[in-house]
Amino acid sequence: MDTVFRLGDNLYYLAAMVLFIIGFHTMLTHANLIKKLLGMNIMETAIFLFFVATGYIRGGRAPIMQVGQDHLYVNPLPSALILTGIVVAVSITAYALSLIIRLYRHYGTLDANEIALLRAREDE
Amino acid sequence: MESSVYKFLPVFMVLFPICMSVVIFWVSRYSERLRNGLSVATTVVTFIAVAALYPPMAAGKVIAYTIFDILPGLGLSVRADILSFCLALISALVWMLVSIYSIDYMSHEHGTDRYYPIFIFVLGSCLGIFMAGDFFTLFVFFELMSLLSYVLVIHEETKEALRAGYKYLIMTIIGGLALFFAIVIVFELAGSVSLSEGTLVAVPSTMALLAFINFLIGFGMKAGMFPLHVWLPDAHPVAPSPASALLSGIMLKTGAYGLLRVIFTVFNIPLIQEARWDIIVLVLAVITILLGSAVALTQEDLKRRLAYSSVGQMGYVILGMVLFTERALIGDIFHIFSHALMKSTLFLAAGAIIWKTGLRNINDLHGIGRKMPLTMGAFTLAALAMIGIPPLNGFLSKLNLGMGALEAGAPVYLFVLLVSSLLNGLYYLPIIIAAFFGEAHGEDDHETETFKMSEATRGMVIPLCLLALSCLVFGLMPGNIFFELSRKAAAFLFLQGMP
Amino acid sequence: MFQQLPVILLIILLGAAFIVPLLGRKREWLAFILTAAVLFALFLGAIVLLFVVRYHGPFTYQLGNWPPPWGIELLVDYLAVYVLMILGTIAFLVMAYGARDLQHEIGTNVRHWYYSLYLLLLFAMSGMALTNDLFNLFVFMEISAIASCGIISIKEERRCAEAALKYLILSTLGSGCFLLAVAMLYMVTGNLNLQYVAGGLPAALSLYPYNILIALSLIIVGLGVKAALFPLHVWLPDAHSAAPTPSSAVLSALVIKIYAVAMVKIFAVFPAELFAVVPVLEIVLILSALAAVAGSVFAMLQDDIKKMLACSSIAQIGFVFMGIGFFEGQALIGGLLHIFNHAVIKAMLFLAAGLIIYATGIRRISEFRGLGMRLPLTMSAFVVGALAMVGIPGTSGFVSKWYLALGALESGKPFYIVVILLSSLLNGVYYFPIVITAFFGSEPQPSTERRDLPLSMLVPVLLLAAATIFFGFYPRPLVELLQQVLASQGLR
Repeated sequence: MDTVFRLGDNLYYLAAMVLFIIGFHTMLTHANLIKKLLGMNIMETAIFLFFVATGYIRGGRAPIMQVGQDHLYVNPLPSALILTGIVVAVSITAYALSLIIRLYRHYGTLDANEIALLRAREDE
Repeated sequence: MESSVYKFLPVFMVLFPICMSVVIFWVSRYSERLRNGLSVATTVVTFIAVAALYPPMAAGKVIAYTIFDILPGLGLSVRADILSFCLALISALVWMLVSIYSIDYMSHEHGTDRYYPIFIFVLGSCLGIFMAGDFFTLFVFFELMSLLSYVLVIHEETKEALRAGYKYLIMTIIGGLALFFAIVIVFELAGSVSLSEGTLVAVPSTMALLAFINFLIGFGMKAGMFPLHVWLPDAHPVAPSPASALLSGIMLKTGAYGLLRVIFTVFNIPLIQEARWDIIVLVLAVITILLGSAVALTQEDLKRRLAYSSVGQMGYVILGMVLFTERALIGDIFHIFSHALMKSTLFLAAGAIIWKTGLRNINDLHGIGRKMPLTMGAFTLAALAMIGIPPLNGFLSKLNLGMGALEAGAPVYLFVLLVSSLLNGLYYLPIIIAAFFGEAHGEDDHETETFKMSEATRGMVIPLCLLALSCLVFGLMPGNIFFELSRKAAAFLFLQGMP
Repeated sequence: MFQQLPVILLIILLGAAFIVPLLGRKREWLAFILTAAVLFALFLGAIVLLFVVRYHGPFTYQLGNWPPPWGIELLVDYLAVYVLMILGTIAFLVMAYGARDLQHEIGTNVRHWYYSLYLLLLFAMSGMALTNDLFNLFVFMEISAIASCGIISIKEERRCAEAALKYLILSTLGSGCFLLAVAMLYMVTGNLNLQYVAGGLPAALSLYPYNILIALSLIIVGLGVKAALFPLHVWLPDAHSAAPTPSSAVLSALVIKIYAVAMVKIFAVFPAELFAVVPVLEIVLILSALAAVAGSVFAMLQDDIKKMLACSSIAQIGFVFMGIGFFEGQALIGGLLHIFNHAVIKAMLFLAAGLIIYATGIRRISEFRGLGMRLPLTMSAFVVGALAMVGIPGTSGFVSKWYLALGALESGKPFYIVVILLSSLLNGVYYFPIVITAFFGSEPQPSTERRDLPLSMLVPVLLLAAATIFFGFYPRPLVELLQQVLASQGLR
């Protein structure tokens, strides 16, 4: 019972790990390039969630200081960092999508295995 | 003043040929004659430079200094003592004669613009090995020589030559890496790899044994020691004959020189005897001797037979250095001299025959002695020396080796020497007999009866005959200079190996 | 006065990356000159920083004047200076070569974008060398990932796009792992600044050992993927061989090494007791040994020259990681020294391969017959590279192997010397036949090098070849610098 409560306390971490594994799995096992990319995004989101969760304090307020009031605030630093992380993730996604479009134009397929096959034939 | 000249000489004799090789490479674009002349002049000057070291060396002086440190404790340094002088002297001498021989021999070959610079450069790096003051410098020149002589090995660029060359190259890399391993271990154990600091490793341990074995692989590979000789019978015959003469006559000796240094300087006699490491070397040396001589019997190709004979002869040299008696050591070092003279004579003679007639197979050489009496005469003299017939130099070295074996209380090695000499006789004598008395194939009877001389050019025969005569001179002559040098070198080494 | 220099260098690189495409639309040559000038400034800046560090000791710079636990800090120490110097030198020479090479490899309309990406990549790598902040390191890693994929996919070939995508996906996976590790370290120490993390870790280790272990393994995986540590190397052969030659040279010579440097920086943060208890370093060692052998085996199987060189990089990065795996004394010096030596050698080999392709269009090794006569200087440089790869004494490859071997003996693991030797032997087995086919066994041909190759391409190759030999005989300054690196990192 105790374990369950402790898990409940750390729900965010748990969710982040589950998401991470889902993303990781999708990224490595799916042949479809778009799905790979989706997996990548899920994985990144999981990491972001994890990171932000490290700064969360139960019952804490948004860190906007008000003079004279002594509240408990959540740690703003992880959120600020993850903002940067999201920007990076978005740019990588955009770039990967553009590459996928180019590949689709060249090979006519989004299947990574098929592309590998086509290329192997080309090399011969 | 005088001593500073001597101090400078070892560096000069290494750098001069190396610099000249660049000049020769540049000159060869403009004039072939100038190139040939320069090559010979370079070897002559180098020989004089080496010979000029005689007074201090004979007086037992040692020239040793560091040029500069590459890393702490690891640098380029010079050391000339009596042993390195012996090796350098014989190398420069043979090189000089071979370079004269090359001019005519190579005149019809392709790629001579490549041959001469490399030929001279290898001389420089070969002397660099002998003049090296520590194992790192030695290693640098050893690799330089090994890799560059690849170009000499594959000079003909036939498929066969390229295959043999590849084998040679891979074996060279393996040997080089083994040396690297050994040198690293010695450096770690002793903190130095200098040759001038006396015994470097005096305590037997697993690491020391590992170093010893790796040295044995590295230098033994070069010296054609069983089971690392496999490249030798392929690589030596395919090279042009002057190059084979050097490969067999001189470059094999760099391996022997390295082993001498390892046994007497890196380690010492008591250590090796107590740890019983000499057993490894002795067994391998005996196998090398017997195998080399026996396989030579079965070879039909003249140069291949000579190459296998080199394997056997290098076995003597390796055997002599682990008998650990002074007399055996004298024989050992003198055999380095003798074998250099004999084997280069034989290869040059074989080269003259190939150059003149194109014949390589022993069965085709019937009656060749009547056509080329001088060449075959030189061949005979060197072959007899090989077998160990008394007044020749081969006898002197074998005598000392045998006496040394007896002194060491191991008459079995004397027996090995005798068996091997018998085998030598078995494979050299038929060639000579057939050459002088055999009927030539495919020629009319009356034609072979007539004494028709057709020798190779004078430029080839003179160095050849000089080398052959030296086999006689250095066996017979009282006050034999090479023998004296060997004696001094052996005494010197023995002193060094006995702390 | 020199306090501002590191950030100025970064700003110049970043700023130039933005200006270059604007200039390049009208005047491409102006864009190139600016790029080259900025790279040269990086090189000069690195030299100046070297002297500053040598005379005044390592110093820090606080970005925006925010004090450490919150603000981002740049740390200029010996390691950073060493890496900056390598970056500046190699990047400048490769760019000088690229001036002509790019004209035939990528289209005119994207060339200024190439310069921009190149500068961005250098910015990211310099940032990684300088930064003292974990999250900042992550950001630079991502910039470097995008920029390095960019300089691959800029070539209008479909296999470039494929290679870049593969690289991008795996690279993102790597940085994801790294970011997760950063989060975990932040969780237990509450800091991102490396010095503060180092201060917090010993206490955290007793409270949350698992967090730290997981973080450590994620760091190895994350940086391992990016540095192409075996068995995480799968993306490398395609990416490095498909790219335009200057990109291949920079990717193989610099980009994979910078992650190894990052690993050294991060490992130095962890307390030594941790490594004594958990076999993290042993794992790195085993992987590096496998890489050194497997990479060479892969390279033996290739017929495409650039692919072969790329596979050989897998083996060579194994040597770098071997030094990191020992993480002490001579071996670490050897590993770090190999970062420089391999950067020089591999850049030279890639550029030489590029020259061959530029002059003859030949990529297959089996068609190299007679090339030695046609391009004597290029192939001579190639010979020097081959010798250095095997570790022949007198070349710089020998020195790093010497230190690695000494370190292996010091740590009582002579087995790794055998690995080094085996890998060197395999190097010989695939590098020497190239040289042999190029020089021997064919009809002599007239040299057409002077006509075929512009000087601006040949000179960088020859300079790098000369450096290979020079640092084979005079590695002292580098070794002394690295000894100071070790001393300042508090390692033996």
